[in-house]
This record gives sequence, structure tokens and C-alpha cells, in this order.
Amino acid sequence: MPAAGAPGVGDRLGRRRFGGWLLASTVATMAFLTLASFFVGTVPIPFRVVAAILLHQASNGAVFSSPCAGTVPAFRCAAFTAIVWDLRVPAVLLALIAGAALGLAGGTLQGVFRNPLADPYLFGLSAGAAVGAAGLYVFNIGLRESNITLPLFAFLGAVVTGAAILAIAGGRLGSVETLLLSGVALSYLLSGVLSLMLLYNPFGSLQVSFWLLGGLTGATWDRVGVAFGGLLVAGSLLVVASREVNVLQLGDEVALSLGVEVARVRTRLILLASLATGFAVAFTGVIGFVGLISPHIVRRIFGPDYRVVLPGSALVGGIFLLGASDLAQTILPQTVLPVGVLTAFAGAPFFLYLLQRKRRQGTGGR
Amino acid sequence: MSLNGAVPGASRQVSLALVAVISLVVAGGAIGATAAYFELRPSATHPGASAVTVTDDLGRTVTAPSNPSRVVALSPSIVDSLVRLGLRDRLVGVDCSSPAFGGLSADYDASQTAAWHLTSAMCVQVSPLNSEALVNLSPTLVLSSTIVSVSAVQEIANTLHIPVIMLQPVSVSGIVTDVQLLMSLFPTGSLGPTLVASMQRELGNVSVLDANLSYNDAQLPSLLLTYAVNPVGSTAPGYWTFGPGTFGQSLAELAGGSSISANVTIPWPELSGSQVLLAAPSLIVYGTGFGIDLTLYAQGPDWSSFTAVQSGHAYAIDSTLITEPGPTTVLVGLPDLIGLLHPSAHS
Repeated sequence: MPAAGAPGVGDRLGRRRFGGWLLASTVATMAFLTLASFFVGTVPIPFRVVAAILLHQASNGAVFSSPCAGTVPAFRCAAFTAIVWDLRVPAVLLALIAGAALGLAGGTLQGVFRNPLADPYLFGLSAGAAVGAAGLYVFNIGLRESNITLPLFAFLGAVVTGAAILAIAGGRLGSVETLLLSGVALSYLLSGVLSLMLLYNPFGSLQVSFWLLGGLTGATWDRVGVAFGGLLVAGSLLVVASREVNVLQLGDEVALSLGVEVARVRTRLILLASLATGFAVAFTGVIGFVGLISPHIVRRIFGPDYRVVLPGSALVGGIFLLGASDLAQTILPQTVLPVGVLTAFAGAPFFLYLLQRKRRQGTGGR
Repeated sequence: MSLNGAVPGASRQVSLALVAVISLVVAGGAIGATAAYFELRPSATHPGASAVTVTDDLGRTVTAPSNPSRVVALSPSIVDSLVRLGLRDRLVGVDCSSPAFGGLSADYDASQTAAWHLTSAMCVQVSPLNSEALVNLSPTLVLSSTIVSVSAVQEIANTLHIPVIMLQPVSVSGIVTDVQLLMSLFPTGSLGPTLVASMQRELGNVSVLDANLSYNDAQLPSLLLTYAVNPVGSTAPGYWTFGPGTFGQSLAELAGGSSISANVTIPWPELSGSQVLLAAPSLIVYGTGFGIDLTLYAQGPDWSSFTAVQSGHAYAIDSTLITEPGPTTVLVGLPDLIGLLHPSAHS
């Protein structure tokens, strides 16, 4: 018989059922937003035509043999088909994948450093990935094979940054503040390196600046495939490692006493977060705050268990970035705003709110 | 918080390795399937249509349809070339800012918009690139400069099989080469050869001018060729100019000027007032237009202290004539600049 005030079996079942409903509604939100996003863009296309094109293309022509029949002329239909199937659908999928990768990376870093302010953007991993990818443009290396070289260089940049953070922290691996401050310092250093690189090559610098704006205009089916591959590898390994992240929350000494090799686990998790960040940054540019906000929302709704926080952050990250991308195309008529602008508008106030809350609490986060 | 399975062990290592292997296999499958899908997709180029293969200014080999009917030109200098070659009727889209940030007027001055009959319906936002607007124009050829994200345009070219030719000359003679490249794609009648001959005549005049100049290189007038200014009080006050390897530098040299920014290490440097004072150019030529005029330059750092300003040797020029590498720059901008730098020799 449970003690007075302790949650009973019924409470636990009720909470679990409530959690299930929340999860189902999150997935439903993502599914609805994904479908709705196919109809959002700067070129107005009739709803019926978009739906017919989607069904026609997805069924390889079995449904709606002529999707625009009686609606628009043939040459307009070809343009609409290209816009919907070759631009919008890959952009929507890439937003979901990149958002999920950034959410996962953010959730992992917050878990590893036990700090709610950790984020691939604030932490320098995004800047490291940006420096790696910018090298392609500035030194004109492998740009023709950018679908492979971009994520590779971005990943290397992020990994080197992650390794540098660990190396700088050196023997003080236990000090979360040291690691976090190392990340912030490296982030500034990398911004300087990036600025220096931009001065080196006029053509490259202009192109890097376009890419740094952050956006999904370069989304294509093959990029979706590569990004999905990266997310699948990093994501599945991170979700499997979520139990170890849970143990890290108890503190290094407790984790060590439970047999977790803290330094090794931390290194592996940072490398995987770098991989996820690299794949996201490579094809979307530097988009901030997705990795910061998503884990917080998940923790607020589902609690602190990282077995839920990590996959949940991926879901919420995808929803957040896709929503920002839709807004970026609709907030001003016939205008595409850099999606990073929208995430910054949402993320910066949220970051300040977290700082205020952390100050009130007087100690580190979870 | 549940700690189920928290303690790692050999089985844990095995499961991690298993997940990694399965992930890699599925990821490889996803990438391979996507690649295969694209290999099997039919090309959007019209089979049987005659094609021309050219090498563009970025060294890319591009196969484009001969005599394309719908062209998007993402640079004012390319529009300039097309109009002068009698190809305005092929033009269906041009570069611009978004309607919320100036639209056409941000990239084209009023006289260009009027003379070339540009309308807002032709607008393709280039930063960031509005891919939907570009594809919606159903182009059969895209002519672009590097004011656009080459990567984004290249992806459109690869995915939708719309040929993209990059035209970004870094010297005045490169403008002639680009016009000749366009002539290989379109039938231009006598307009093409006439235009090329006119430009070559202007470049020939430069050689004559060089020979006629009575002074040697060391005595060439020192020049600040500036196209924009950040006034005092702004974050970084200074004068924007051209560094080595840029079209503007080539223009200044051809016009017989010794640019004070010839030896800087940055391609598009912003010079401070002190740097200009130190270099003491005997001539300043400043680009006007797009909201930039003498009033704004006069608010630049140390403007009134410059020798050239005090001696009355600061001259305005339409900024489209020094920043846009098109035929108008060769035919009008270069002679105008020579006229400012060497009035007696030019006359």
C-alpha cells in the first residue's frame, strides 16, 4: 500500500496515459503541419492543384494522370509540379530533418553538461560546422560534389570544435561550467576565424554569406536523402545512449559509482551531437536556438527522462523549424526571409527568459 | 527518473554496434534509393532540341538549348547585354530584392527599369534566393552572376535540369567575352557583331590614349574610385572601393588611373578617412544613385580635408557605370571615366 501522498499505481497509469496522449498529439501536430506546409509558398498555387500534384507524383502517375487538367495551362502545370514536388516537398522534409537533428543535438548537450543553456549554436558546434563548410566555398574544394563534401566538412568542423572543448577542459572534465565557457569562448574564436576566411576570397565570401543566412532554398531530394542518413545514424545512436544521459544527471561521482565511464560517454555523446549538428548545418546554414528551445519544451511537457527528452526534442525541433520556415515564406508577401531570423526572434527572448529563471534559482540547471 | 539499464556492459556495447550497423545500412539504402530515383528521372531538357556547350565565367561547362525562348537574367549587367543584343523579348525574369525591401528599385535604377521595360512580375528575389519565383517563370535558361547563391542556383539546375550559366567578368575585356558567349547561344543578326566591334573600338581607344599620355605610369593620377560611403556616425565610417582582382580595379587601370586601393589585400575594401588622407588621391570619382549622392559623401570621414575635394577634383559618376560589368560600362562608363581622369588626352 503506497504511503500517504505518494503516487499510486492509478496515478502512474493516468500520467502514462496522459503522456501517451501528449505524444500522440505531438505526432499529429507534426503530421498536420507537414501536410499543411506543402500548400505554403511564395507562389500561390490552387489547393486542388497542389493536392492533385502530390497524389500524382507520390503514386508515380497512377492517380490523377493530368493533375492540372482544366485548371491551369500545361506549361504552368509543369512549373507548379516542379515547385510542389521538387522544391516544397524536399524543403519541408529537410526542415523536419534539420530541426530534428538540431533538437537532438541540443537535448544531448543539455544532458551531457547538465545545463539548460547548452545548445549547438551557443556552444560553438554550429560555428565549427560553419567554418568547416565555409572552407569549401572559400578555398573552392569539392563544391561540385557539395552534397557529400558539405556535410563532411561541416561534420569535421563540428567534431574538431567538440574535441577542442574537451581538450581545453582537460583534466577538469567534471567542471560543467569550464566546459560550457570553453564552448562559448570557442564560438567567439570560430566567428573570428570565419570572418578572416571571408576576407580571403571575394567570390567565396559572398557565397558563404548567402549560406550563413540559413535557409531551405537549396533543398533537393538528394540532400534530403543524405541529411536523413546522417540523422538516422546520429539519432539512433543518441536515443540508444539516452539512458546514459539519464545517469549523467546524477553527477559524475554517482555515475562513476554506477559503472558509467563518464569521460568516454561524454566524448561519444559530444561527437554524436556534432554529427547531427554537422548534417543540419551543412544544408541549411547556421540556424540558431532550435536546439535550445526544443528540449525545454519537451522537458516541460514530458518530464526530465532523457529516454523521452531526446526523441521528443527531435520531434519538437522538426515542428519548430518547419513552422519557422512556413512563417519565413508567408509573413511578408512574395518574400522569403532567412529562416534563422525567425528562429532568432523566437529563441533570443526564450534564452533571456531562461537566464532570468536560472538567476532566480541561483544554481545550475537540471 | 528511471535508471533502467543504466549500467553499461558488454551487451550494451554490442547493442550500440548493432544500432550503428543497422542505421548505416538503412541510411545507405535511403541515400542510394534517392540517388537511383534521380538517375531514373527523365531529363527536363527537350530531346532533339539543338544544344550549345559553353564554358562560363566560373569555369563550368554548361550545355544549354540553342536560342532559348524564356530567359531569367539575375544581374543588371546581363540584362544590359541581352537588351543590347536585341533579346529583350526573351527576358521573363530579373534579379530583385523582395517587394518588402525595395523590389526592383533595389537592384535597378529608375532609368534602367523604364528603358528595359522591367516589371515587378519579373522579380526573382535573390537573397535568399526565392526558388519558387524562379521556377514559376518557367525559364529555359538562367543567366546568373555571383550576386546569387551559386550553390542554390546550381541545385536548381541539377534537380530541375534548367541550365544555369554564370556570367561574372572580373575585367573589362571579360565583358566582351561574355557578350560573345551570349552570341553563341542566340541569333543576334548584325546587333551582336556591331556591339562587339563598338566595345573593341572603345578598348582600342584606351591603347591610343595610353600611347598619347605624356607621362609614365608613376605619374598617372592617383585615384579613389568609390561607389558607396558610410557617413560619420555610422558603425564603420569609410569609403567603399575596389581591390585587386575586381572588375572595378580593372576599369580604373584601363581609364589610366593609379588606384590608391590597388595594393590592399581585400577585394572590396572600405577605406577609412585616415587611409584616404594618407594616400592623398589627386582625383576622387564617386558613384551616385540608389539613394547615394554628394550630400552623403560630404558626411564621410574627412571628406572636406581631402586634397582632391579641396582642389575641385572630386567628380560624380552614375554608379551603374562603375559597378555593373555590362556593355554600357564599356561604351559609356569607360570613356566617361577617361574623360574625368585625362580631360585633355580624351578630348
